[in-house]
Amino acid sequence: MSQLSLKRLEKSFNEARIIKGIDLEVSEGEFVVFVGPSGCGKSTLLRMIAGLEDVTEGEISISGKVVNDLPPVERGIAMVFQSYALYPHMTVYENIAFPLRVEKLPKDEVEKRVQAAAKVLQLEPRLQHRPGQLSGGQRQRVAIGRAIVRQPKIFLFDEPLSNLDAALRSEMRIELMELHKRLGSTMIYVTHDQVEAMTMADKIVVLDAGVISQVGSPLQLYHKPDNLFVAGFIGSPKMNFINGTVKSADGTTITLDLGALGTLALPRSAKIGAGQSVTLGIRPEHLKLGAGDFTLSVTPRIIEHLGIHTVLYANLPAGENFIGLFEGAPEVEETKPVQIGFTLDQVHLFDQAGLAVY
Amino acid sequence: MSDVARTEEIAAVESPALVKPASRVRSAKPMIDRYKWYEVASIYLGIAVFLFFVLAPFIEGFLVSLKPLAQLFSTPYSFIPKNGSFDAYVNMWTSVPMLGMHIFNSFFISSVVTLIVIAVVVPAAYAFARFQFPASGLMLAGFLAVNMFSGAVLLIPLFRLMRGFGMLNTYWAMIVPGAAFLIPSSIFLLRTYMLRIPRELDEAAWVDGASRLYTLRRVILPLAMPGIVVVAIMTFIGAYAQQFIFALTFNSKTEYMPLPVGLFAFFGKQEVQWNELMAASFVGILPVMIVIVFLQRYLVAGLTAGAVKQ
Repeated sequence: MSQLSLKRLEKSFNEARIIKGIDLEVSEGEFVVFVGPSGCGKSTLLRMIAGLEDVTEGEISISGKVVNDLPPVERGIAMVFQSYALYPHMTVYENIAFPLRVEKLPKDEVEKRVQAAAKVLQLEPRLQHRPGQLSGGQRQRVAIGRAIVRQPKIFLFDEPLSNLDAALRSEMRIELMELHKRLGSTMIYVTHDQVEAMTMADKIVVLDAGVISQVGSPLQLYHKPDNLFVAGFIGSPKMNFINGTVKSADGTTITLDLGALGTLALPRSAKIGAGQSVTLGIRPEHLKLGAGDFTLSVTPRIIEHLGIHTVLYANLPAGENFIGLFEGAPEVEETKPVQIGFTLDQVHLFDQAGLAVY
Repeated sequence: MSDVARTEEIAAVESPALVKPASRVRSAKPMIDRYKWYEVASIYLGIAVFLFFVLAPFIEGFLVSLKPLAQLFSTPYSFIPKNGSFDAYVNMWTSVPMLGMHIFNSFFISSVVTLIVIAVVVPAAYAFARFQFPASGLMLAGFLAVNMFSGAVLLIPLFRLMRGFGMLNTYWAMIVPGAAFLIPSSIFLLRTYMLRIPRELDEAAWVDGASRLYTLRRVILPLAMPGIVVVAIMTFIGAYAQQFIFALTFNSKTEYMPLPVGLFAFFGKQEVQWNELMAASFVGILPVMIVIVFLQRYLVAGLTAGAVKQ
């Protein structure tokens, strides 16, 4: 049985519909990441699960019990805020102990639980300090400590790493994943960073303008995006999109007219009307220098050398941006045309409505 | 005035000789804080002029309190007391026996007003800072409007009200209107301060199971302390300053009179004891001074706290 389930969940602020009907099942112990661009409703959704926002329509149940009208503490959740929301006038010890003090637990029980949390998070030498004296990463750990002492069923994280610098962010990412392994509890994590989503999640929920665009494991989303939005959102650098029209579709092959780039025959069984405009997608990392199943010629605008990778930026004849990612440091030069090819099995195809065509 | 100003100027003119070599070597001050000698001189000159205008009445008042009464009416008038003494500070207690009571009354009325205002304003400011409720904006505007009326305009209706409640000639006659006029602006002030405390702190406490009152007590109050102290000081000073008009109108009993009204006792039938009156005024300000010195560090911290915190 799923631990958390959302049914036709909706949220409106006055006239504005933010969440437009969301169904989702989360099973126990899963690490679920809500990802999407800013304004897609992911934080609102998390706050609804937390009990910080009212539910306009639909149902939230935790462990089979509808919790729509329960305050956060009775839902068995704990939340870590983006700004950490530590109490600046209390020591680290008191910050972590806060939920237990509210619960009025006996002193020795508080002591035991705070020490245990501090040990897990390596905060023991910092217990008597105030949040102002801590580094960003340590503050983050205090915020997590305050969440774990209550031993909740579900942890909610609202963009917890976005205030940290890049190096610390990847460090904390590993720590969070280890914490998840150790505690084994359900975690729901909101981020706008698809790299965080890809690296941490058991299950990614991609949100777009208040609806779920796709749910799946990171690799499912990477290899089989359901639609144009997910294809463009997951993966870095972004997937290349090339506009074209269908010339013919016979049930085994779809032939595309890509304008100045020529024609391309893809093995697809879908029946799709001739003349329909479609979008072809190919990931930058799936491009090879030289000829492939399909070859095109571009003139690089900018080339970035990262040592391990070389990134090439160019424009297609029709004006679309085109990015290529190559291993090592191949011999390419700015303003000097190059041949780039790819194999057909790595091509994604999307119809007029932006849905994937197989 | 010119004496003070000139000495300032001379001091400033002399200083570049001392300052310049040091600044050429390496000034510890950041670029934005470095000034030319004449800029420093004009800043100090400006401060001196300003301070002189503000402090002149106090200086004059203090000097008067040191002079024997006869000297006050001598021509030519001498600014500096001849054979000045502190006699007035001793004699005033005997010429107005209730003086100690008046000073106590002033302090007592202001303290009670301050306590009432704090007790009312803290929860009210929290509510205005955090809760959405109908007409909250209208009420805040109303508070500002109340501030535009001085107590004097409302004296007659207030008098009827006080009489209706049977509060005339009691401490309450001075405490209740005093607190009522100070509450609105204090709510405004403290609300602004509380708005700076991040809402996430309330939410985090709420998620952890704390009630609104628990959050107010354990999280918001300690963080708003500098703001509360500012409100307390402002209220205390405000109550001290405004009691005159309420005391004069709503109270006729000598034993309840605060200092500003009590000072009238120095107005005799034939003459006014100006020197003792000044002496009594200075002694009367003392309690306020003590309170402010005691709370000053909070006051300074309170005024800068919002700017430094994220």
